[in-house]
Amino acid sequence: MTEPVLMARSLGKTYQGRRGAVRALGPVDLEFEGGTFTCVHGPSGSGKTTLLLSLGGMLHPSSGLVDLKGTDLYAADGKQRSALRARHVGFVFQLFHLVPYLDIVENVMLGAVDGDRAAAAAVLADLGLSGRESHRPSELSAGERQRVALGRALAGRPSIILADEPTGNLDPENGSEVLRHLGTFRDNGGTVVMVSHGADADALADRVVHLRDGQVSG
Amino acid sequence: MRVFSLVLRELRHNRANAVLIVTGVASAVALFVVFFSTGKAREDRARVHMRDLGYNLRIISKAADMERFWLDGYSSETFPEDYIHRLAQTKGLTYNHLIGRLEREVTIDGRGFLLTGLSPEYSPPGKQKPPMIFEVPPGTVYLGHAAALHLSKSKGDEVTVLGRPLKVVEVVGEAGSSDDIRVWGALKDVQALLNAEQRLSEIQALDCLCLEPDGDPLTALRAQLESLLPDTHLVHKRNLAEARAKQRRTLQRENAFLLPVALLGCAAWVALLMTLNVRQRLPEVGTFRALGKGSGFIARLFLQKAALLGVAGAALGFALGSALAVPFAPGIFKIPAESVRLEWLLLPVAAVAAPLVCAVASLVPAMLAVTRDPAEVLRGD
Repeated sequence: MTEPVLMARSLGKTYQGRRGAVRALGPVDLEFEGGTFTCVHGPSGSGKTTLLLSLGGMLHPSSGLVDLKGTDLYAADGKQRSALRARHVGFVFQLFHLVPYLDIVENVMLGAVDGDRAAAAAVLADLGLSGRESHRPSELSAGERQRVALGRALAGRPSIILADEPTGNLDPENGSEVLRHLGTFRDNGGTVVMVSHGADADALADRVVHLRDGQVSG
Repeated sequence: MRVFSLVLRELRHNRANAVLIVTGVASAVALFVVFFSTGKAREDRARVHMRDLGYNLRIISKAADMERFWLDGYSSETFPEDYIHRLAQTKGLTYNHLIGRLEREVTIDGRGFLLTGLSPEYSPPGKQKPPMIFEVPPGTVYLGHAAALHLSKSKGDEVTVLGRPLKVVEVVGEAGSSDDIRVWGALKDVQALLNAEQRLSEIQALDCLCLEPDGDPLTALRAQLESLLPDTHLVHKRNLAEARAKQRRTLQRENAFLLPVALLGCAAWVALLMTLNVRQRLPEVGTFRALGKGSGFIARLFLQKAALLGVAGAALGFALGSALAVPFAPGIFKIPAESVRLEWLLLPVAAVAAPLVCAVASLVPAMLAVTRDPAEVLRGD
């Protein structure tokens, strides 16, 4: 184990609804070390995605803090937070969220710091997508799209990958393929926090966190 | 990747949205181009129409018997010719045309005619305007249509008026008014024939106004004439004045209503389509946020697109407007075809204004993209 690269301290999120405040998360205390794979499980509405987005600097918490590599993410201004996210965090979403008007190399280049086409093509090759570089996302299968989304997250050489149900839309074979790449990222010293309904990644995970009603239950 | 490169790729991908925006901008620009290409010609046309209505102010002697004035159509009382010079040189008074007349009923070959002496027309200082009525050279006359028929005279003949032979230089077309029995001569000639040297029976004016900041301009004009031209009376041809005002208002409406409405319509159209574009691309915006792109990047993504489409719309609209103005505007606006000319200056103006309008119209949609919480979109998974 190494020093935590990402920490949540008393992290909480409350939404103001018409019928009053709804507590979606926390308070939660979690630490994520480098070279670890953490799975977050929980039923729908348990706060998994809220936790993930808060950890990635995408959702301002109502209370607590998120420490990313020694920096309080939400004490930083929006510009600094964007820069930290670009430098250290890669996101993978269940619906891939690829940019439809770019080919897949260009999609990967979006995540890269230098925007180098050859490096992006190399990332795609590592993910088994050689020869598909000029294809648009609409020309790929769901599994291939998710691998492109993973490539986009990896292209920026992040310390942390935050994955929100990355296998949720994939068949078991493609799901395993994506998990294998996440495992490789972890094995190379990266930190993976993956939200999932199922237990498909548990065998790969170093830790499983259960959320219920916004609280860590185990 | 550069924002501009992303904008170009998105335009190629989402062609329908781009085509609709360019169409809207091009339509507005084309309307401007047609309007301005024909503007001078339409103004000239309106001016001629207004001028053809005739003079709308008549200044006669205060001693004139108004019943006789209306019955005869002229005043037999006179005032000094110098009055017209005074009027023309008065500061604070505007007019478009001034003319002095001396009129009497005369008998020629046993028939009654109206003899009218015309002074040269006065234009406002520094503005040489085309005359509303002809200028009769000394020693000659213009004959009204019926007068020429009754006297059996035509162009080049001689006619004797009150004992003096005068050459007919023109026979005026049928007017359907008392002008048909009129004999027009130079003012000096008619003054000599009527023994009324340096006298006028009437000053006629077009668009003569007193420049008072407040109040009714006619009342102000009457007050001013009271001291300027004593012993005169002002007759206002109300119908003509109102017709003129209507013409003016029509032109003003065209300028003050149609063009701003076209501009606002174009801006609203662009804003609507850009809003739809932003809504459709919210997941993309969320993704860019997740990738660490800032607000400036997101805003530029939409504003540059709008500006680029504005440039395209300006170029297309200029070409379209120019192509439409030449063949169709003469028929639509009833103006001579040769008066329609391409206004090349409009191209750079449109190329700057259209992208600016598009960018301004896209500000709200762009702000929608910038301020929308990306987590809201991304958590939809």
